[in-house]
Order: sequence, then structure tokens, then C-alpha cells
Amino acid sequence: MINLVRAEFLKVRTTQVWFWLLLAALALSALLVIAPLASGDISTERDAAQMFANASTAYIIVFVLGVLGVTTEFRYQTITASVLTTPSRWALVTAKMIAFALLGVAYAAACVILQLAIGLPWLATKHLGVSPASPDMPRALLAVFAILALFGIVGLGVGALLRNQIVAVVLGVLFLAALQNIVLAIPVVRYAWPYLPGGSTASISAIDRSTDNFGGVHLLPVWGGVGVLLLWAFVPAVIGAVYSMNRDIT
Amino acid sequence: MTSAPGLAAGGRISVDRLTKVFSRRIRAVDDLTFSVEPGSVTGFLGPNGAGKTTTLRCILGLVHPTSGRATIGGVEYRAIPDPLRAVGAALESSGFHPARTGRNHLRVVCRAAGLPDRRADEVLSVVGLTDAARRKVRGYSLGMRQRLALATALLGDPRVLVLDEPANGLDPDGIRWLRGFFRYLADQGRTVLISSHQLGEVQETADRVVILHRGRLVRAGSISELTAGTDTVTVRSPQAAAFASALTAQRVQVQQVDPGTLVLRGVPTDRVGHLAFVHGIELHELSRRRADLEDLFFALTEQAATAPVQAGAPR
Ligand SMILES: Nc1ncnc2c1ncn2[C@@H]1O[C@H](COP(=O)(O)OP(=O)(O)O)[C@@H](O)[C@H]1O
Ligand SMILES: [Mg+2]
Repeated sequence: MINLVRAEFLKVRTTQVWFWLLLAALALSALLVIAPLASGDISTERDAAQMFANASTAYIIVFVLGVLGVTTEFRYQTITASVLTTPSRWALVTAKMIAFALLGVAYAAACVILQLAIGLPWLATKHLGVSPASPDMPRALLAVFAILALFGIVGLGVGALLRNQIVAVVLGVLFLAALQNIVLAIPVVRYAWPYLPGGSTASISAIDRSTDNFGGVHLLPVWGGVGVLLLWAFVPAVIGAVYSMNRDIT
Repeated sequence: MTSAPGLAAGGRISVDRLTKVFSRRIRAVDDLTFSVEPGSVTGFLGPNGAGKTTTLRCILGLVHPTSGRATIGGVEYRAIPDPLRAVGAALESSGFHPARTGRNHLRVVCRAAGLPDRRADEVLSVVGLTDAARRKVRGYSLGMRQRLALATALLGDPRVLVLDEPANGLDPDGIRWLRGFFRYLADQGRTVLISSHQLGEVQETADRVVILHRGRLVRAGSISELTAGTDTVTVRSPQAAAFASALTAQRVQVQQVDPGTLVLRGVPTDRVGHLAFVHGIELHELSRRRADLEDLFFALTEQAATAPVQAGAPR
């Protein structure tokens, strides 16, 4: 299994997509620190922790990485070589899930480090030192790691279900970036929002959990958000795996 | 790559009553049975769409047969514990990520199979791709992709090689090299199965051929077996018509192709010469023509095409 996970890393490392996506994730993370600090929106330690937790927004980028991790194999038919080398499709899927969760963690580390490097000195000039004793900061950073790790797997699952690279990327990004948030604007239906990927992500990463931040919709408790996101990660991946298990590769 | 490593139950490929029906009732492979022996090169022949690739994919566990079974060394591909060290396969010239270098493609496979990166460099030099190893596959010609596919098949130093149209896109030099290479592999006791839609490509290397048409087995055997009895004798004579009736009386199979030329089957030239002498026939030409497999292939596939085979219909 270790060999298979290493092979998945090498697949990612030997093409250039990971680099551009990492750049995009870093740019987004930087923006999420620079914009609120420059506009003076950050006035409490709690605001600062929330700002760092918002690096989890890069989940869309890690999602795309996961989608590409599966769909390029079908697009360029490298799946043939992969399955010939590893006839057990369960082993292949498991290795991919481990590898892309770890890639999510690596992206999270890069984003968090960049945010802290920009944010901490800046906060110090505003005399808003973040005290290590406050539980908000570790929670914020942990949320970023957990969310990005799980979204690597969400991407794999969606890729395995849809298979077509363009369709999976476009539909996935459209849903995550726009459609799911429209739900918040629809009466009644909006109470389902915490169960969507964006809502469960917010449930994990929200430091201030007051309902008025989310238009009156109650977030799930953190563990509930993690549970729902785990379902979003594993249900598509397992369905995709089972569905592809007996399919012909031609 | 000096000795062929053992595969538990030998390197015999066995296809047993294999049938594959794709959706919409496309009967790609139809009750196909044949086997491929270790230490030989077997050509797997048939026109485009005959079902060669589908059969090979069934052998490799990529396609699930509708019925029947394909085994290598007595077991199905997916049951082979360390498949790359037992079976090497090259299926499509397009199975590479265009942005990955040839060497990195091989390293990915090495990593997954637990082989050292050194193997990637070794097989690259075997197929003559060392100079292009660090270039992206995007810039490879079709021939270079074929070589990379072959290199991938060789990574695990396997006892069995399954290659789908390996000569496609190679220049004549490349094809000549490939023939020698197959011979060399078979002489080491390996099993080599190569598919082709062009007989010329395998005729000189293959010990045996398996001919497929519309998913069905047409003929299987050694080349000498398949060409036996198909030699022809050509006779030119100003008295062709008279000679034709004399030969027919001797139960020789005669075909008059033009007023001065006869083509005879199943008769040696010395007997024809003798009969001409006995009947006082003036001969301007008496020559024997060895039917090559090309004619046979053409004849067989034509025959199968006109035979009432309903490739699309379920039985
Ligand atoms: N995935 C598939 N779905 C439906 N039909 C297929 C599929 N793959 C191959 N076929 C059909 O099966 C037949 C045999 O194809 P193939 O095995 O590729 O032949 P060959 O390799 O001899 O050219 C063709 O009629 C082809 O169209
Ligand atoms: Mg083919």
C-alpha cells in the first residue's frame, strides 16, 4: 500500500497541475488575510482566528486537484497501466484516497504558513497579538487541515462518478462556489444548507457560531460538520469505486 | 534481462470459449478458443474490428468476458500476485499523460510495482529511447510512443508479453528491430503474443498464428501448416486449352486465367512438366508460386466475410 500511495504522489508530482493549483490556493489564502486586515475589519482576537480559519476556502482548489487525480487517468487512459499494475481496484482507490487526503494536508500547511507569515506581523502592528493560550487559534488551524484533507477525497469521489474531466470540474466548481450558497436565500430549503459541503465546512471552521452570520440558519456542531463532510468525502468515493469495480476498461 | 523468471504454472496463455458482448449487442468476441505456448511468438491476426484488442483486454482482466475464461499460467490475470513481474502488456499507444516525461511514466509504474527506478533506465535503453527519456510524451512520435509502451511492458522482466499492434507507427527499421527482438524474447523461453491487422508484420517472426474475423476463430496453427497445399503452379503455353483438358483428365485442378495461361493447384512442377512432354505440349513458362500468408489471410477473411456469420445477432 505504501508503494501505491508513493506512486500516486509521483503521478501528481510529475505533471504540473499541482503547482498551478497550489499557487492559486496560496493566492486565495493571501487575499483572505490581506483584504480584511487592509480594510480594518479585524478588531478582536476572535476576528483574527476566524480570518485564519477562512483559509479553508481553498477547499475548492483541493477539490479540483482530487477531481483531476481521477479524471486525467481516464482522459489519457493511464488507467490501463494503473489497473494492470494493481488489478485490485479497491487497493487503487484506497491508495488514491490516502494520497489525496495527504495532499490536502500539504496544501493546508502551505496556506496556513503563508497566512501566518503575512497575518501575525500585521496583527502585531495593530496591537492584536494572538495569544497561544486562546483556544480559537488551534481550532482555526485544525479546521483548515481537516477540511482540505477531506476535500481531496471529495474531489476523487466526484471524479470517479462523473469521469469526464471538464464536466466534473465545471459542475463541481459551479456547485461549490455558487449553487450551494443560493440555497441560503431560499426559505425553508435553506435549513438544509449545513448539510451541504459549504455548510458543513462552515460548521467546522466557524469560530463565532452566532446564527445571524448565516442568515438565521443554525450551524451543526463541529463534530456534526466533520461527520457530514466525511459522508461527502466517502459516499461518492465508495459509490464511484464500486461502480467502476466491474466496469470494462476499454 | 537474461533469464525468464518462472511463473508459478508456466507461461501458457489459454483462452477458453471466450465471448464478449458489449452493450447494444455488439458481439466483439464470439466463442473464441486458442492457446499460446511458452517459447514461441504467436501472431494474433485479424482485420480492424475483428476483436483482437477486446480479447487481449479480457486476457489482462481489463474487460470482463460475457462468458468463457482467459488465463495465464492457469490463473486469471487479477489473481497473479505480482502481475508486472509475470506479464508485460502494451495496449494502446495513447496511454500516457502528455505532460509527463517518458522516464517519469515508467517511474510511476516502477513505484507502484515496487521496482527500482533503475529498471526504467534499463528498459529505456533496451527500446532505444534513452535520448528522449526526459522529454514530455506530448512531443513523442507515434513510433516513440510504441517504444515507450513496449518499455512499460518490459519493466518487470516478465515471462509473458502481450502486445497490441506493437508495429503500428514504426518505420521499416523499427519493424525489423522489433522482429529480431521478439525472436530474442521467445528464444529465452518467454511467451510472446502480438496482435496485428497486417500479416506482413508478423509473418516472418511468428511461429504460430491465430486468425480472427468478426470475433470468431478462422484458423490457428503454424505458418507451414496453414500454407500447406496452397502453392500454385503457373503454366504459359500456346496450346493452353488443349493442355487444360489433358490435365483435367488427370484430375489436376486447373484454372485458365487467360487464353495462354493456366494456374494449377496441388500439383508439383515436375509432374506438370512430365505431362506436357507426354502430351507434346509446348511450354513457355512453368513456375511455382509459394502462396504467402497474405493471400491466405485475404482468402480466409474473405471466406469468413461471405459465410453466413451474423456477427451482431445473438445466438
Ligand atoms: N467499449 C466498447 N463498447 C462497444 N463496442 C466496442 C467496445 N470496444 C470495442 N467494441 C467493438 O468490438 C469490436 C471489436 O473491436 P476490437 O476488439 O477493438 O477489434 P480489433 O482490435 O481487432 O480492431 C468492434 O466492432 C468494436 O467497435
Ligand atoms: Mg485493436
